[in-house]
Amino acid sequence: MLAGSDIVVIALVAFVVLVLFAGIKTVPQGYRYTVERFGRYTRTLDPGLNLIVPFIERVGSRMNVMEQVLDIPRQEVITKDNASVAADAVAFYQVLNPAQAAYQIANLEQAVQNLTMTNIRSVMGSMDLDELLSNRDIINERLLRVVDEAVHPWGIKVTRIEIKDIQPPADLVASMARQMKAEREKRAQILEAEGSRNAQILRAEGAKQAAVLQAEGEREAAFREAEARERLAEAEAKATQMVSVAIAAGDVNAINYFVAQKYTEAMAAIGTANNAKIVLMPMEASALIGSLGGIGALAREVFGEGGDAAAPATRRVTPPRSKPSTTGGTTGGMTGGTGASASSTGVPINPFDPTRTER
Amino acid sequence: MMAALILDLGPWSWFILGLALLAAELAVPGMFLIWIGLAAIVVGGISLILWDLAFWSWQLQLVLFAILAIAITLAGRRYFDRPDNSSDEPLLNRRGESLVGRTATLKEPITNGRGRIRLDDTWWSVTGPDLAAGMTVRVAEWTGNELIVEPVA
Repeated sequence: MLAGSDIVVIALVAFVVLVLFAGIKTVPQGYRYTVERFGRYTRTLDPGLNLIVPFIERVGSRMNVMEQVLDIPRQEVITKDNASVAADAVAFYQVLNPAQAAYQIANLEQAVQNLTMTNIRSVMGSMDLDELLSNRDIINERLLRVVDEAVHPWGIKVTRIEIKDIQPPADLVASMARQMKAEREKRAQILEAEGSRNAQILRAEGAKQAAVLQAEGEREAAFREAEARERLAEAEAKATQMVSVAIAAGDVNAINYFVAQKYTEAMAAIGTANNAKIVLMPMEASALIGSLGGIGALAREVFGEGGDAAAPATRRVTPPRSKPSTTGGTTGGMTGGTGASASSTGVPINPFDPTRTER
Repeated sequence: MMAALILDLGPWSWFILGLALLAAELAVPGMFLIWIGLAAIVVGGISLILWDLAFWSWQLQLVLFAILAIAITLAGRRYFDRPDNSSDEPLLNRRGESLVGRTATLKEPITNGRGRIRLDDTWWSVTGPDLAAGMTVRVAEWTGNELIVEPVA
């Protein structure tokens, strides 16, 4: 039915379809295809529509050039101080040179995985357990350095290796927890002791300061008291001087008037007192008369002599004040008690001595 | 029966074949059946005009189809390889090339032509003239295997 030429035509069409099927290669993004001509690598196909020569060229391997995640399985590692820990990791790598990755290494993923595992062992085995647990960054960096260097001929780059988990044995974890607890308790106790020490110091310092302040206060008070006494003495001296000057300028009878007034005032005070009225009255009366007579004679004498002003002044001022203060009128009556009482008030007493003898 | 059907449909059988091929391409993308389908549709178009002429035999139509399939494939490849069809991310999946022009600090000195820099949170071993650590370098070239750096003045 069909002529030979018809069969050739049909075969031709079938052949063309097959050729197109073999020659058109569409590479998706993220992949590279290697092309082998008679089995030998010639070029790499980039993403997009590509044509290869059928029969003599074929696609060798389809390389994924996206960054890939590789789980590194858990394994036992003996640390430098003989602790056995379990560690797993995750590695990221990317094919940079598809041809090398396709032909330099047979099983890329397995190779990277095993390389990383052995290096985890050697890096972690060179560290103490404590270092291991606290220096993951250093471990990661060392691992990356070694592994990346090793995979370089394979046309891939390991971009990072992260230790995911480090698990020390359970008893070790327990003792580490105990150690941490003890550490914290130690700190707490130290802090407590420090606190009470500081408190005691502060308290003692407070007491010391209080005592110092009190002593200072007393000292100050004493100073002021002394000053007050000085001032008082000064004022007294000045007062007596002024009185004596006034007397020197005026009449002697003025003194008598003063003295008499003071005496009667004092008598009035004694009279109003509750307890000493009955006993003292007669005695004081005689003493008063005696004193008045004595003072009058004294004043006359002084003015008659025209002696210094200070002596009479003291004589005259002191008796009125001192007389009432002396409780026993007997002493005053016997020896002109004026002199004895004057000495007790702190007023100069020397001027009195002559008067007493003269009387 | 099949032959009778084709004869009954006339030129339209080519359109049917072409559209079927295009549909298959959509189902299983591979940029392969689309060219053959387009060739079938073109043959169908020509057949509409020439169907009644004596020399327009089915053998000739098949040969034309085969030639067109190859021609359209080549034309399509040429068209899709034009520069304005290139990716707007030409450095996608080209990690090495994408670093060219970047500057970084030399973390380890380049001795005997090899040193290390840190870029994008990973270490790269680089080659270049001997330099001290701490120098700033620029990535000048990616050889497909290595980064070549040069010092930045």
